[in-house]
Amino acid sequence: MTDTPVVRRRQWLTDSRRTHLFAYALVVPVLLLIIGLIAYPFGFAIWVSFTDRVIGSVGNFVGLANFEYLSRNATFGAAISNTIFLVVVTDILKLGIGLGLALLVNQQLPGRGLFRSFLMLPWAMPAFVAFLTWRVLYQPVGGGLNLVLTQTGIYPHVIDWLGQRPTAMPSVILASVWRGFPFWFISILAALQSIPKELYEAARVDGANAWQRFWMVTAPGIRQVVLVTALLSSIWTANAFEHVWLLTQGGPSDATMVFPVLAYFGMQTQRIGEAAAVSVSMMPVLLVLLFAVTAVMQRDDER
Amino acid sequence: MKTVHLRGFNRARRIVVSAVIISALMAGTSGFATGQDQPYSGTQLTYWGGLIFSEDANQLLSDTIAQWGEANGVQTEVVMINQNETVQRVSAAVESGTMPDALDLSLDLLMIMSRQNVFAPLDELYNRVGEAQGGWYGSIDLATDTTEVAGGRTGLPFGASGNLLLRRTDLLEAAGFDSAPATWEELVAQAEAVNAPPVSGLGLALSNVGDGNVQASVLQSFGGRIANDAGENVTIKSEETRTYLTWLKDAWDRGVFPPGNATWDGAGDNQVYLSGQTAFIANTGSVGIAARNDDPELYEFTAYSALPAGPTGTISPITPQVRAVSATSDNQQAAMALLEHLSQPEFLQEYYKLAIYGPVLQGQAGFEAFNGEDPIHAGLLDLVQKGTAPGYPDVYNSAYADFMANFIVPKMAQRVVIDGWDFDRAMDEAQAAGQAIYDKY
Repeated sequence: MTDTPVVRRRQWLTDSRRTHLFAYALVVPVLLLIIGLIAYPFGFAIWVSFTDRVIGSVGNFVGLANFEYLSRNATFGAAISNTIFLVVVTDILKLGIGLGLALLVNQQLPGRGLFRSFLMLPWAMPAFVAFLTWRVLYQPVGGGLNLVLTQTGIYPHVIDWLGQRPTAMPSVILASVWRGFPFWFISILAALQSIPKELYEAARVDGANAWQRFWMVTAPGIRQVVLVTALLSSIWTANAFEHVWLLTQGGPSDATMVFPVLAYFGMQTQRIGEAAAVSVSMMPVLLVLLFAVTAVMQRDDER
Repeated sequence: MKTVHLRGFNRARRIVVSAVIISALMAGTSGFATGQDQPYSGTQLTYWGGLIFSEDANQLLSDTIAQWGEANGVQTEVVMINQNETVQRVSAAVESGTMPDALDLSLDLLMIMSRQNVFAPLDELYNRVGEAQGGWYGSIDLATDTTEVAGGRTGLPFGASGNLLLRRTDLLEAAGFDSAPATWEELVAQAEAVNAPPVSGLGLALSNVGDGNVQASVLQSFGGRIANDAGENVTIKSEETRTYLTWLKDAWDRGVFPPGNATWDGAGDNQVYLSGQTAFIANTGSVGIAARNDDPELYEFTAYSALPAGPTGTISPITPQVRAVSATSDNQQAAMALLEHLSQPEFLQEYYKLAIYGPVLQGQAGFEAFNGEDPIHAGLLDLVQKGTAPGYPDVYNSAYADFMANFIVPKMAQRVVIDGWDFDRAMDEAQAAGQAIYDKY
């Protein structure tokens, strides 16, 4: 009778269980960190978006009232279309520039290392410095771009780059692409360097021309990296605040209004329920993007 | 070189004189303090001061608080914060429970946050300070009354600002204009007369920043109203607003606004004026101070006047700056004692000379700063005595403050001049957006 508990204990704590418990014990700290730093703020933001919470008050559950309010707001509609347009166009341009430069720098060129470092400068520069510099360049009077255009006689009139609807969004896109293309460049370059040279030699032996070698060897080799880069870049661009804020503050009118700036305006008036609703509204789009990229990558892995 | 040396000497002299005066005061009060009990001895106070354009004024505030702390056995910590970041800092502090014991803030923020019981009531202190110095100016008294939203007064005014019209006399006199424009039409006419790119006539902001809200004053001077007399229903869609928009569109079409004014940040008009690119701006006077320090010639050629009038007169709102005590502070009495000390004439005499604020108490009108020698301070005194209360003729309540924080009027203006919307469509959007805000209160 006195041995029974010992026997039971031995039966419960088997080697397998001990291994599992040890594994769980190792995972727990990370799990707690994820819950504390990601899951809780994430869930809290979603909860707040369903409340009328303002700074200094707990707020009450108001259902979809914040989303209904936003849907009636013309600026919210502009923020949706502007954010999507900004993300898509900047990603395409960054892909084109990043891929082109990566293919160029991947060749055996003199001074290649220096050139690579030089291309990383926009990425290394603090965002606020970069965008404030662009703002100065765009100044109607005394701005670098207008000086170049007028002094060279290319265009004799001053252009209000940031102050009029037709040029405001292209100006923001240009500055964003300049700042963001190095990330694409370095990611694609790394992928290019991981493609075995033998594949290109075999393609040459088979008579493949340059385009065929790119399409049949290079493109599949960098596909996964491009997908991941596109995902990250899209999320960063969609959530970026400083490029629009420092250049146009969402204006003129709502020509460059994007989700983060709209959420910031909500915070300025202490209505964090509405501000959270703006941020939460963007989540479905990003989730669809996330699942699509993940699905494509999984399919690639299974092949 | 001589001028620079002299200016440096003046600044140093001001600081030294200020320090001597304050030290003398402290010596007097510290004698009192050591002779009596130090009721707040051993406590710690954190104070968030709002940075203003004058470094000397900022330093004087910090030094005065530190010296008060030493005299009273209170350990003080002064954190000077950029006033553009006050909303974010205070919001984060409220949510995280890390509010300072006392702070400087704008009336808008005080009005919005007082609804959440963020600040301690200051009625007794407010009355005591007012009675000791000839009473508060009526407009200040009315504007800072938070009784309706907080059950008492939560802000202690310490300075008033507002927009003056700054004009380039060299350009305007050359064009035959010797006096300030009396009406908005005259303003556009004068601006058009000197409009010669790269110099633009009329440097008013139309962007989504505080400066853009000057357009609300223009609208109101044309007879337009944000809301009804009860301050509950938005009435921005009106014939008066249409008249205002007609004036604006006409001025825009004449090309008198500087390029980029629809996306200026808070410093946009300052930079344009200081770089000589515009003949007029509406500004608190900080630009004049900057010109005095950095561009004496521009300072010489700058004149100050009240904002022009519309069909219903001049709307020139006063913007009081206030100090408040956090409701969560463990040292509220010590914080209130500090605020009372900072309201004493001995400190404010010196502070007003350096800061760009008008007086808030009747007794302060006799301070040296407001003797008329300095045109900026004279203009601010005039503004406090003749200007309109915040929001006037509208009711200044939390909904109005929220409405202004959402820049509904400059956005409406942008719809007309940037997007080319017709007046009805622009007014409809402003009406709906404004009513949605008012419905929350």
